[in-house]
Amino acid sequence: MIFNRYRRGLFITSFLAAPVILYVVYVISPYIQAFYIAMTDWRGVSAMPRFIGLDNFERLLDDEKFWLAVTHNGVLLLLLPLITIVIALFFAFLLNVGGGHGGRKGIWGSKFYRVLFFFPQILAVAVVAVLFQQAFRPDASGMVNAPLMALGIKPIGFLSEPAVAFWSVLGVMIWQAVGFYVVLFSAGLASIPRDMFEAAQIDGAGRISLFIRVTLPLLWDTVQVAWIYLGILALDVFAIVWVMTDQHGGPDSSTTVMAAEIYRNAFHYSYFGYASALGVVMFFFTIGFAILALRLSRRERIEYQ
Amino acid sequence: MTTVSRTILTSRKAARRQRRSRLGPLALLSHLALMIWAVLIIVPIMWTFFASVKSEGEIFDHAWAVPETLRWDNFERAWNNFHIGQYMLNSVIVVTISTFGTMLLGSMAAYVLARYPFRGNRAIYLLFVSGLAFPVYLALTPLFFVVQNMGNVPLVGPFIGLNTHLGVALVYIAYSMPFTVFFLAAFFRTLPTAVVEAAMVDGASHTRVFFQIMMPMARPGLVSITIFNVLGQWNQYQIPLVLLQDREKWVLTQGIADIATAAGYDQDWSAMFAALALAILPMLLVYSVFQRQIQAGLTTYALK
Amino acid sequence: MSDTPHISRRGFLRAAALVPAAGALAACATPAAPPAATSSSAPVATSAANPFGVAADKPLEVWIFDGGFGQDYAKNIHQPLFKTKYANVEIKHNATKEITKVLQPRFAGGNPPEVIDNSGANFIDFGALSQDGQLQDLTPLLDAPSWDDPNTKVRDTIDPSVIEIGTYDGKFSVLGYVNYIHGIWYSQKVFRDNGWQIPKTWDEFIALCETIKKSGKMAPFTYAGKFPQYLYEPLLTMAAKIGGNEVLVNIDNLEDGAWTTEAMKSAATAWAEVGAKYLMEGTTGLDHVQTQTAQNKYKVAMLPSGSWLENEQKTTTPPDFEYGMFPIPDVTGSDKMPYGTLHTQPGENFIVSAKSPHPQAGMEYLRAMLSKKAAGDFSALVRTMTVVKGATEGKDISPGVTSASKAVADAGTNAVYYRWNNWYGPLKDEAIAATGQLMSGGLTPDKYLERIQKKADEIKNDSSIKKYKR
Repeated sequence: MIFNRYRRGLFITSFLAAPVILYVVYVISPYIQAFYIAMTDWRGVSAMPRFIGLDNFERLLDDEKFWLAVTHNGVLLLLLPLITIVIALFFAFLLNVGGGHGGRKGIWGSKFYRVLFFFPQILAVAVVAVLFQQAFRPDASGMVNAPLMALGIKPIGFLSEPAVAFWSVLGVMIWQAVGFYVVLFSAGLASIPRDMFEAAQIDGAGRISLFIRVTLPLLWDTVQVAWIYLGILALDVFAIVWVMTDQHGGPDSSTTVMAAEIYRNAFHYSYFGYASALGVVMFFFTIGFAILALRLSRRERIEYQ
Repeated sequence: MTTVSRTILTSRKAARRQRRSRLGPLALLSHLALMIWAVLIIVPIMWTFFASVKSEGEIFDHAWAVPETLRWDNFERAWNNFHIGQYMLNSVIVVTISTFGTMLLGSMAAYVLARYPFRGNRAIYLLFVSGLAFPVYLALTPLFFVVQNMGNVPLVGPFIGLNTHLGVALVYIAYSMPFTVFFLAAFFRTLPTAVVEAAMVDGASHTRVFFQIMMPMARPGLVSITIFNVLGQWNQYQIPLVLLQDREKWVLTQGIADIATAAGYDQDWSAMFAALALAILPMLLVYSVFQRQIQAGLTTYALK
Repeated sequence: MSDTPHISRRGFLRAAALVPAAGALAACATPAAPPAATSSSAPVATSAANPFGVAADKPLEVWIFDGGFGQDYAKNIHQPLFKTKYANVEIKHNATKEITKVLQPRFAGGNPPEVIDNSGANFIDFGALSQDGQLQDLTPLLDAPSWDDPNTKVRDTIDPSVIEIGTYDGKFSVLGYVNYIHGIWYSQKVFRDNGWQIPKTWDEFIALCETIKKSGKMAPFTYAGKFPQYLYEPLLTMAAKIGGNEVLVNIDNLEDGAWTTEAMKSAATAWAEVGAKYLMEGTTGLDHVQTQTAQNKYKVAMLPSGSWLENEQKTTTPPDFEYGMFPIPDVTGSDKMPYGTLHTQPGENFIVSAKSPHPQAGMEYLRAMLSKKAAGDFSALVRTMTVVKGATEGKDISPGVTSASKAVADAGTNAVYYRWNNWYGPLKDEAIAATGQLMSGGLTPDKYLERIQKKADEIKNDSSIKKYKR
C-alpha cells in the first residue's frame, strides 16, 4: 500500500513537473513582473528600474491616444460579435434548415458553402492583413477601387481615410471570423432533434418564425460561447491593425487598439514601464469582460431553464 | 426531385411541398446571399493568385488587368530575394516542436489533474486555466527578458535563448497550456474508469495506463486540440516579433509582414504577391484535404 | 453539454486572485542586470594605426538600413576597405528596412550590434538611446588621425555641421554620413517640354500648380501620404524661411508656443491649400516609392524629397527623366531668409552601440567609412553627397546630384535643420498623424498647430523624458 502511494505520488510529480515549471517560468512570472515594471520608469536597459509608484497610471489617465484605443476596442467589442453572429446565424440557418425539404435539409450546395466560408479562418492573421492591405489600395491598383474608378466613382481610401479605416479593420475581422461561426452554429443545429423542426412546420411555421421560435432558443448556449470568443478576439486584436493599417494603427490613430499602444510604447519608444502600466489596464479590462460574460451567461442559463 | 414523382402523398409531405413552392423567391434570395459571401471570400484570394503572375506594370496600371504572359519568375524572386521558403520552413520547425510539446505536456498535466485527486490539485488546475483570461501583451516585455535570461543558462542556454526556434517553441508551449489543459482535463474526466481499474489490477503502471490506455481513448479530443494548437501557433505573430530578430530565424507571419514593407522599397510588388500566394497555397492544400477534420477540430472545443 | 467547463470558467476567474501568491516563484526571472558596458576583458593597445584598440580577431556586427541607398555600398565598399587592415575581424553584415522592429529588442536585451545605420521611416528614437546610455561617445573618432593621412584629424575632414547635429548630451555620438539636401523634386525634361518655369515665389508656385492641373497632363503635386513626415519637412523649412532659423530652434527646444508662431501658421496654411487643391488622387494612401514611381511615369509633376531620391528610383526612372530640385519659394515679400534657403542635414545616421561587445571596431569601421576612397566610391555608387569634404572631386555625378549641389552652393550659409523628430519619438508620431490630417482637410492649420503644440507641451512637462537643447 505504502509503496503504491509512493508510486502514485512519484507519478503525479513526474507528470506535473515539466508543464508546471514551464508555465510558471514563461507565463506566470512575466505577468507578475509586469505588475512591478508598471510601477517603474524603466526604459528597457541600464541598471535596475526606478520605482515611481503609481505615476504611470496617473499619466495614462491623460493619455488620449490610449483612451482612443480603448474606445476602439470597445466599439469592436460591441460590433464584432453582434455582426458576426447575425451573419453566421443567418448563413447557418440557410445552410442547415433553409432548404425547405422537411425543415432539416440545407440549401443546395450547402456543403460547398460551408467549406468555403470556413477557409479564411485557417489563414494567418498577418497573411490576411497583408492581403487586404493590397486589396484596399487607394488607386487603380487596388482590387476594390479599380472597378469603382472604372465606373467613374471616386476611389475610397479604405485605409487612408481616418473615417473609413476603422470600418475596414472591422470588415476584415468579420470576413475572417464568419465562417468559423457558421460551422459552429451548424454543429449546434445538427444536435437539435429533427422532430422539433417538423413539429413546428406542421404547425405552419414559416422560415422566419421557424428561426425565431425554434432555432434561436435552442442555439442560445452556442451563441453565448460565440459571443465570449468574439469578445476576446475584439479585446486582443493586434496583428490585423499592426500589419494592415498605415502608421501601425493610423492614419491619425483612427484604428489603434490597446495592444498596439502597448507594443508601440514598449518596443518603439522604449517606455517599458509605461507600456506595462497600459498592459495592467488591459488586463483588468479583459478580466472585467470575462466576469461580466460569465455573470450574464449564468443568469441567462438559469432563466432559460 | 424524387419526391415529386412519388404518387403517394402523406398529408405531411403535401404540406411540405406546398411550403416549398410558396418559398420560391425566398430560396432564391437565400442563394443570392450565400453567393455574395462566397464571392467575397473567393475574390480577394483569387486576385492575389492572379497578381502573383503579373508584371510590376500590370499590377500598378490596373488591378484587374489580364497578364500578358504568366510571370513565374515572380515566384523565383519571392523565394530567393524575399526568402519566403525559409520563413515557411522556420514556421514548420517551430510549430512541429511546439505542437508536439504542447500535446505531450498538456495531456500529461491535464490527465493527472483530471484523474488524481491530491492536495493542491485544484490550485494547480486554476493556475493553468487562469491564463485563459490574461492578455499576452501584458507579459511581453518581461517575457522578452525571461527568454533572454534563458540564453545564459549553462549548456542549454544557446538553444533556448532569444533568436532560437526552440526558445520560441517553449514559449508557445507555455502559452498553449491554459486552453490545452482546460480542454483535455474536461475530456479526460468524461472517459470511463473501468478499463483503467482493470489494467491497474493487472499491475500496469500509472505511466503505462496513461500512454497505452488513456491516450488512445482520448484520441478524438487530442486530434481536436492538436488542430487547434497547430493553427493557433502557426498564426502567432506577436511573440515571434518580440523574440526572433534575425531574418534567418523569422517565421512566416513575421516574414510576410516584412515582405509587404520591403516590396515598397524594392518596387517588387509582383514578388510580394507571389510570396503571399505561396503563404496561402499550402494552407489551401492542407485545408482541402483535411477540411472535415479541421472544421470539426476547431468547433468541437467550442461546444464542449 | 457537461457542466465541467462551466465550473472551470468560474474557476479561472477565482484563480486570478491566486496569482500574486506565485510571486515568490517568479523572483528568479526578473530582468537580470545586462552585461557591463564595454565587455572587452583585456584592452588591446592603441597605436596611430589602430587608434581605438581593435581586437584582431573579435567579430564586428554591422546593420545597414536597406533603403534608398541599398546595402551594397556597405558590403562592396566599406567592409572590404575595413578588411584591408583587419583581415581577421569577421564582419557580420545585416540589412533591414525596419531598424526599430529588428534592433530595438536587441538594445533592450543588452546585446546590440556594434555599428548601426539608424535611418529610414522606422529608426530607433535617438533620444531614448542616448538616455539609456546606448550611444558610444565618438569624440575619440573625431580626434583620431584620418584613415588617409596620419597628420589630419578626422574632425577636419568632415562637414562641421555633422558634429553639431550628432551631439547628444554634450557628446558627439551620431555620425550623419550623407549630406541630405531637401527640396521639391521634378523632371527637368517635363518642365522643359511644357515650358513650365521653376517658381521663385509661392504665388508662382500656386500658379504653376494651376497651370499643370488645367493642362490635364498630370497632377501638380504629391507626397508620400502614408508617411506624412515627407510633408512636414517642406512645411517646417518654409516656416524657417518666413520667420528665420529661430523658428526651428525654438521647436527643437520645446519652447512655449514654438509650433503656433505666425511663421508656422503661414506655412501650414500654404501647404493646406496644396493639400486641398493640387494633390494627385489617392495620395494619402500611397507610400514614398509609389508616389515617386508615379512621378517617373509622368503622372505627377512635383514632390518633396531629399537627395537620396535619384538613387532610390534608379530602376524606374526613364533615361531622359533628368531629376531636378528647387528650394522652397519666397512666401511673403519679407521672408526672414532669402530665396534659396535650404534644409540640409547630415543623414544616414551611423551609431556605435556603447554596450556592444566590440565598440572599438565599430569606431574603426566609421573611420574607414570617412576615408576619401570609401566616401568617393559611395558617392559614385549611390549618386549622392557624403559629409566627407572633397570626396567627389573628379567623380562623374548625375543630374540630380548636380542640381542639388548647385542648390547647396547657392544657399551658402542659409541652411536650416531640425532635430526634435530625432529626440522625441512620440512628438514625431503626433506630427506625422496631424500632418496627414492637415493635408487631407481633417484639420485646419490652426487646429493642426495647436495639436502638435499640445503634444510638445506634454513632453516638456513629462519629467521622465530626457530633454535636449541646441
